[in-house]
Amino acid sequence: MATIVSRLKTVSWQQFVVITLIALVAVSFDSCKSSGKLTRKEKKAQIEMYKKQMREIINGTTKMTFDEQVQAISEAINKNFRDDELNQLILQAQQKNKNAYADYQKEQEQKVAVARNKLYDLLINKQNLSADELEHEMDKIKAENLNDDEINELLSRLEKKISEMRQYSSVEMSLKSKLEGSFQSIADASRAGNTSMANSLIDAALNYFSAPDVPVLIIISRQGSVVDYDKPTTIINYLNFLKDQKESRNSVDSYQMDPSGKIKELDLIK
Amino acid sequence: MKRALVIFGLVLLSAGLFAQESDDISPQRKQAIDSLALEKVRDLSKYVSIIGNKDTPWSEAQRVIERAVELFMPGSEMGVSSLSRPEVHYYKIREYFDRLMQLNYDRVVIEWYKIQYVSDLERQPDGTYVGVITIFQSFKGYDNEMGLVYKDTTKKDITIYVKRKETQIGGRLIGFWDVLLGDIRVKETSK
Repeated sequence: MATIVSRLKTVSWQQFVVITLIALVAVSFDSCKSSGKLTRKEKKAQIEMYKKQMREIINGTTKMTFDEQVQAISEAINKNFRDDELNQLILQAQQKNKNAYADYQKEQEQKVAVARNKLYDLLINKQNLSADELEHEMDKIKAENLNDDEINELLSRLEKKISEMRQYSSVEMSLKSKLEGSFQSIADASRAGNTSMANSLIDAALNYFSAPDVPVLIIISRQGSVVDYDKPTTIINYLNFLKDQKESRNSVDSYQMDPSGKIKELDLIK
Repeated sequence: MKRALVIFGLVLLSAGLFAQESDDISPQRKQAIDSLALEKVRDLSKYVSIIGNKDTPWSEAQRVIERAVELFMPGSEMGVSSLSRPEVHYYKIREYFDRLMQLNYDRVVIEWYKIQYVSDLERQPDGTYVGVITIFQSFKGYDNEMGLVYKDTTKKDITIYVKRKETQIGGRLIGFWDVLLGDIRVKETSK
């Protein structure tokens, strides 16, 4: 202890003050860094970095998303570097970003419109696609990630339709052949001159349908999404038509069932 | 002023041409419509046979008459000829079918054949397609005791009108081709 005291006494006050000042400068320098103030070198580096980002936005070579671009521009503004060139670049980048966003929005709107039309076509199954084909088309629309409420609602309706189609697919095959067989039997009975048999077969065929006035549509031509029909008729008139004409010329194309499992709409094709 | 009028005229002309072009249909669709119209005439030929057939019950004949009348434009007429008189009588379609049902023979056999276009369906300015189909009708009237008592063959021309229409069915907008038959004119009658 005595040794320490004697050594302290040898240190002059002048030396003590110098050492303390150096220590204070060192501490203040360190605290300056942690409080966010930059050295001139760091500030310069950041300005260059933001200039580079702004130039990339202006030239359209940036890999940032729109949100990231907006964030970078906003950061550059908030830093307030007071660099004229950077400020000029920020203004240009802001304008570029605004224009690009407007284009992006327009493109998105167009994509949504195309997807909406496509989904409505798929929902009525204009092209008579199978459940797998419908799902493939639906997946292509989903992959676009349009994030639109109406599109999402149509997608869920289509999902439901596909699920129903799969549920009824096995029943559907047999019902289609049953209907076509029934139509042919009516025509055959009439051609054989057995009108009462034809009438009985008509009564039996009506059991597949919700009502005698169920609409029957006959497709005469289908080219892509353009479908041409004959004048719509009803199932009772169509069954009598088979009897009168003594031939069954059309195949079952599709039908819609009511909740009780009876056909409420029938599409035939020549 | 003169230049402005020329430009205005050109604009009108190009708009008209565009409108005309936009109404064009593909050859495949046109063929489907041609076939549909021919098929309606074949359908009518079966209805004529059923209505004329004395074995057809009255109620059944009435139902078939309704179906047959629906094939025609309102007010259409059917020409009727006979080897026993030079003139052709024209009757409203429903009256013709009523008379056909009541012909004074014990058995009647009517057959239509050689059903074909003599004038293709052509698009009119109002969008209706109009054409002419010709048919040959063989008529045979029998008496129970005397057998075949009358027969003739008549060539008839049928004017066809086809127009595209739209209707809503189950929430779907359906584009259909409405085929209607017009007057049926007698061209010639022979033994």
